[in-house]
Amino acid sequence: MRAIDAIRRSGVAIAPDRTIRDAAEIMERSGVGSLAVVDGDELVGIVTDRDLVRRGMARGLPLDARVDGLMSSPVVTIDADADLHAASAVFRSNAVRRLAITRDGRFVGMLSLDDLLVNLAADLSDLVRPITAEVIFGHHDSPVPASR
Amino acid sequence: MRAAVGDRIIIKGHRVGEPDRDCEVLEVRGADGGPPFVVRWGDSGHETLFFPGSDAVVQHFEHATPNGTPS
Repeated sequence: MRAIDAIRRSGVAIAPDRTIRDAAEIMERSGVGSLAVVDGDELVGIVTDRDLVRRGMARGLPLDARVDGLMSSPVVTIDADADLHAASAVFRSNAVRRLAITRDGRFVGMLSLDDLLVNLAADLSDLVRPITAEVIFGHHDSPVPASR
Repeated sequence: MRAAVGDRIIIKGHRVGEPDRDCEVLEVRGADGGPPFVVRWGDSGHETLFFPGSDAVVQHFEHATPNGTPS
């Protein structure tokens, strides 16, 4: 599966000169926990609800401070057509819970660790199904050729 | 996903009890009506760039042409 196909939530982006208050309200309104910060066509950062608390509220930043003052940058990205195994490797080697998905260098969506786990759970369920059936309905041996 | 200016995008709630959310398409930035879209969120007035995922559906509306007939 491609990274772009594993996304379960829409992506939302804001400009770097928007305020912290705007970011919080947009998260609440759109139901996302992270926003891509995009300047024109360029992805310049990611801001999460956790950033708003730890880098904003905890440090006493005013609500009208610019959002690029607390965003994470540079952004860990993965190509939209990359395989999910590659995405897992990127998660393993970077301490992040979200990957920005890009195509031709432009932001197109956000892949979360949750998305990967949901896909993994679905794969595991598919694998377990025949074993479950075998446990419940008994083991079917292959027929033994009759001895002569 | 394709949309036109004036269409409504509905984002389904992700958890049980979570309400659907919606926004209005103000501008289509992609080719052939594709994303990203500049949207306005409900009555908050906030405008953002939106990249639809599998949780989003477009509600198309008929758009009147200059001579008054629907497109």
